[in-house]
Amino acid sequence: MTVNLAILSQRTGLAVLDHLEKQVAIPVIDGLQAQGDLLIVPLRMIATAVSIDNWATWREVPADGFEVLRGAAGGNPHTLVADASTCHWTTQARDTFELAIGIFRNTKPAYMLHPEHGATGFSPGVYVVRRQRELGHSRGGRRLVAD
Amino acid sequence: MSARWRLEAADIRDEWLGHALSTLPADRPAAEAAISSLYELARHPAPRFTWVASPRAAMDLVPPSAGETAAFAGMNTLADLPLVQRLAALTFNLRRALDRRVGHEWDTPGWRTDLRQLDAMVSRPLQDAVHRIRSAMRSALDMRQRLTWYGQHDVSWIAHYDAWRRVGRRVYLPPEERQLTLWAAVARSCGWWWAGEEVCVISERPAVQRIEDLRPHNAGGPAVGFSDGFAVHAWHGTLVPEWVITDPTPERIAAEPNVEVRRCAIENLGWERYIELAELRMVAAAADPGNPGFDLLLYDLPEQTWGGMARVLLAVNGSAERDGSRRRYGLGVPVFLDDPVAAAAWTYGLSAADYSTLARRT
Repeated sequence: MTVNLAILSQRTGLAVLDHLEKQVAIPVIDGLQAQGDLLIVPLRMIATAVSIDNWATWREVPADGFEVLRGAAGGNPHTLVADASTCHWTTQARDTFELAIGIFRNTKPAYMLHPEHGATGFSPGVYVVRRQRELGHSRGGRRLVAD
Repeated sequence: MSARWRLEAADIRDEWLGHALSTLPADRPAAEAAISSLYELARHPAPRFTWVASPRAAMDLVPPSAGETAAFAGMNTLADLPLVQRLAALTFNLRRALDRRVGHEWDTPGWRTDLRQLDAMVSRPLQDAVHRIRSAMRSALDMRQRLTWYGQHDVSWIAHYDAWRRVGRRVYLPPEERQLTLWAAVARSCGWWWAGEEVCVISERPAVQRIEDLRPHNAGGPAVGFSDGFAVHAWHGTLVPEWVITDPTPERIAAEPNVEVRRCAIENLGWERYIELAELRMVAAAADPGNPGFDLLLYDLPEQTWGGMARVLLAVNGSAERDGSRRRYGLGVPVFLDDPVAAAAWTYGLSAADYSTLARRT
């Protein structure tokens, strides 16, 4: 089935901004992708930096969506959407750079939806969701970017 | 799987956010009636009301309460307490009772486990918003020893119980309902207020209130401003002096001691404009692998700008704004990075080679 923004918006009940094209099919790819301040990295690419805990519990991503991260101050959530029982999420992982907010593995296409940025699709695999950082203001500090 | 409850929850949140951000003149009869009833519930005769244009104007009329600590010394019953504390106890007891009715969100029956996200949708964002507005305003006022009720900026806890009643189908006892309705009526009708034994001072609502992503923000004037001139300025949630909004210049930015304020001023001026006016040196430019048609630009920053040695990477948003334009934004990066692609990669903890494979940016 071709998935577009209108379908995802209806499924999750999340309104997307009017200027985004709602009928165009969302590409489903397996490479590195960015959405706003998030980067979605295939695990194999950063397997040296990120490891999933052996005892990690995986939570099913419900068909009407799972909020991965609320945008700054709760405004706009990045929401993961997938068919029932095809995508699971865990936060029980270690990231050398401490940028990972979680990991999902999917057996069917999964989608990341954001009211301002639109949506993008992931072919089956294991992906790490990372936040963006920048140099903090105090010497040597870091801070996470929030859009 | 229905998403209907989410729409309902979003409506409730928006309804209360609307009250929190209202700039309409206060509904004085409604506010006075509800507050009088609350006095009554606190077993106190209804007060006289004095209306003021802003919380700052109220500061002259509300004396700092003196004997607050003394009240606890010989306290035996509620009746021994001053009115402000009786009102506070009233709210505290109401909230404790309603918390029991709501129960823990995880107690929701299995078929409605999705309701676990109700607080995340309604009360938490509202709380974030009103807390930020309140603390912005409080920082410009001398609030010590002045117990304040926030009227329209008290919506978060009221909306919380409202949402659990309407979406979560929780049932409250009639006296609880009645008191909640009174607090809700106050939140719908006026600004901040101070409960005196005989006189209650109430502020009008602001004439301007601007938020973005639930944070006070206005690039064109005060984020919160009242008709008598009391105003606070904010840039994406950070409180800033007025010049940051009205007249950011490289000279003022260089003279500003607070690094966070400097950064807000640069963002308001625009990174491109700042780079030009402050004559920053470009280190390198490169095509952004993840954003076809757009460049990544790397500049040296004067040492004090970022509070230490730093460079700034100028990147362009992946998705267009409403007007079709794309926002350019600056990110601080370590000074050892010479390659703009490596700098962009660093912000995500990747190597330049891996970042170059970025397939899609939304």
